[in-house]
Amino acid sequence: MDELDILKKDWNKGNDKYPKLSYNEIYKMILKKSSSIVKWIFIISILEFAFWLAISFSFKGTSYSGKLEALDINHILIPFSIISYGVLLYFFYLFYKNYKNISATDSSKTLMENIIKTRKTVKYYVIFNLVSLVIGAVIGALYGFNHNPEFSNKLDLATANGEVFKFYAVIIIVIILVLAVVIGVLLLFYWLIYGILLKRLNRNYKELKKLDA
Amino acid sequence: MNKELEHSFVELLEKHQNIVHKVCRLYTNNYDAHNDLFQEITIQLWKAYPKFRGDAKFSTWMYRVGLNTAITLYRKSKRSIKTQDFEGVEFKIKAEDYDDTEEQQLKVLYKAVHQLNDIEKALVFLYLEDKDYREISETLGISEVNARVKMNRIKTKLRTILNP
Repeated sequence: MDELDILKKDWNKGNDKYPKLSYNEIYKMILKKSSSIVKWIFIISILEFAFWLAISFSFKGTSYSGKLEALDINHILIPFSIISYGVLLYFFYLFYKNYKNISATDSSKTLMENIIKTRKTVKYYVIFNLVSLVIGAVIGALYGFNHNPEFSNKLDLATANGEVFKFYAVIIIVIILVLAVVIGVLLLFYWLIYGILLKRLNRNYKELKKLDA
Repeated sequence: MNKELEHSFVELLEKHQNIVHKVCRLYTNNYDAHNDLFQEITIQLWKAYPKFRGDAKFSTWMYRVGLNTAITLYRKSKRSIKTQDFEGVEFKIKAEDYDDTEEQQLKVLYKAVHQLNDIEKALVFLYLEDKDYREISETLGISEVNARVKMNRIKTKLRTILNP
């Protein structure tokens, strides 16, 4: 008889050694709120969508947005906004669809895969936003170089002083630094939140995949 | 959710609650953690109950939801982590602990099972519940052959833990 068979004998005979919860105690439990990782993923994901939406709204009405309007680039901004909201809706639909597919009655592997899939949808949305941020910054800078009179004046001044190269270098370095800091902070935030939340799931999923490899 | 559904669910769970207690016993090691996990499994079972069609046995359905909650969905609460988290603790069982008396032997065996990882515990749980390899493989989502191979490895691992 191996070790597990010894355990099995004890396992099945000792049903009276567990607490016996009453009907009312169980009833009270079903009224409580879940604290599962799926609930947290849902809350955080909704906050992420709200965060990017809030960023796009809060941008409107700022002095920077006023400057952009003065540049008369609506022909760029309007399609850009339509694409952004379209993409947001698409990702949100995918996210909700995947979220709805998560079921505790699936096999463990399928359940884990569905959670990872839901999580990935939001991750791709965030990547899309970060890439848009970089592209937007580059387009904005290029457009500014060519169309902003304020910029032309400063450039003329720098040319007169023989500092054209320095002038461009400073602008480009500042843009890169700001983008790096913003992206760095966001990535750190994600790494911390999801690293902690999904650590166990990832470890167990790896283990299950290893079994079927 | 209507009252009738609530009533039938609570009644069924009250009757089969030992299954949930057994899952909690394998995945936790103190009273608070046991209660936390029991609570979460109950909520998950309740959430899934409207889709329970009765074509499977209620107990079989409970195994799946219970294990899935323990392995994947459950987020350990702070109070559980303080005293219950085994993952970072590697405790070797001393040879002198392995006594001949049955009770002592069982204590050592349970201690050894607690050192297994989450997936291994799930396999052990289903094995102890006398489930066949088909059901084990379906519950975890792995092939039957691999479930069998893994089970043999777990037995070897347990032997190594018990006889270092």
